[in-house]
Amino acid sequence: MSCFEGQLAGWVAPAHPTTVSTTRTIAALVAEYSTALYRVAFSVTRNAAEAEDAVQETFLRVLRHESRLGEIRDYRVWLVRIVWNIVLDKKRRAKTRPEGEDLADHARALPSSDRPADASVISSQEHARILALVDRLPAPEREALLLSAVEELTTAEIAGALGTTESSIRSRIFRARKELALLLEKEGIAR
Amino acid sequence: MNGSMPTGTDPRIDALIDASLRAISSATPDPGLDGRILTRLASERMNREAEAVRFPARFPLLARLGSSYRLPVRALGVLTSCLLAFVIVAGTVSHSRKLHSGETVAPPGLVLPTHGIGAASAVHPAAPASAPVPAGQGARGRATHRTGRARIAPHARKAPGVAVPAPSSDNSQN
Repeated sequence: MSCFEGQLAGWVAPAHPTTVSTTRTIAALVAEYSTALYRVAFSVTRNAAEAEDAVQETFLRVLRHESRLGEIRDYRVWLVRIVWNIVLDKKRRAKTRPEGEDLADHARALPSSDRPADASVISSQEHARILALVDRLPAPEREALLLSAVEELTTAEIAGALGTTESSIRSRIFRARKELALLLEKEGIAR
Repeated sequence: MNGSMPTGTDPRIDALIDASLRAISSATPDPGLDGRILTRLASERMNREAEAVRFPARFPLLARLGSSYRLPVRALGVLTSCLLAFVIVAGTVSHSRKLHSGETVAPPGLVLPTHGIGAASAVHPAAPASAPVPAGQGARGRATHRTGRARIAPHARKAPGVAVPAPSSDNSQN
């Protein structure tokens, strides 16, 4: 039995059948979506510890509303919406701390060794400056752009998480990229 | 990645944006994230269960009521508060009635009837004391006769500039 299964077995100890069922459902949700949720959180916080806290808080909320689990149609959209609200709330509350100030977090977000093409395209300084420019975009455009970066999410799921339509998301992403390109040209990063 | 759409600008800029977004999306959590989440969930569930066990130990009657009627704890709290408020109000009213059921004490200045109807209409307030009227030379513009029509005293002192009609012949006859 792996460590994960051991923890799961310890967690599903309550004898009530419905509790066991919801516990198993939540454990399955953790296994399936925790990484995607971490990336969603990290795209906003750019801090590993805060992103992990946000993911844990997301599943704690799921646990608090476990009686409603049966009513949820799309778990992925529901979870993304929860984690998104949590990270935006955290960001609003902690305006004082500049994002991505931790060097380890910069390294975490940098192109990994299995992406040599990216490494040749972008340096760490460029990456940091582009992220700073992303933060200067208007909120709707910035949010759509950041969520679009998460590979696990389709445009329809992003629209569901942000409570808008797919066409609106597409136009927001387009506007965000255009604005970002203008800012990059103005800053002279591309040269 | 969904955000990879060219903006019609410099392709190098598009490549930079794509690479930056890809870098964000490729962030990986520290190993064992699932385990840490499950551990925290287990701890949270244990806390909740411990709280649920503690509640009946402190308030066994309320807990039994709640479990038998499926009432949440907050509803039980509201119910208890309402019950307490009712008991306090009822107790106060009953106490005040008990106090006033015996002898009624009249406030100063009121004469209560000793026999017959004890209604408020039967209560006669005592006449208020009044100051004596000055007589003689000090009286100003006061009628001299107590019967018949009022007259103006012919020798009363008047303030300067106040027009007073002269006494007519009718007044002198009367």
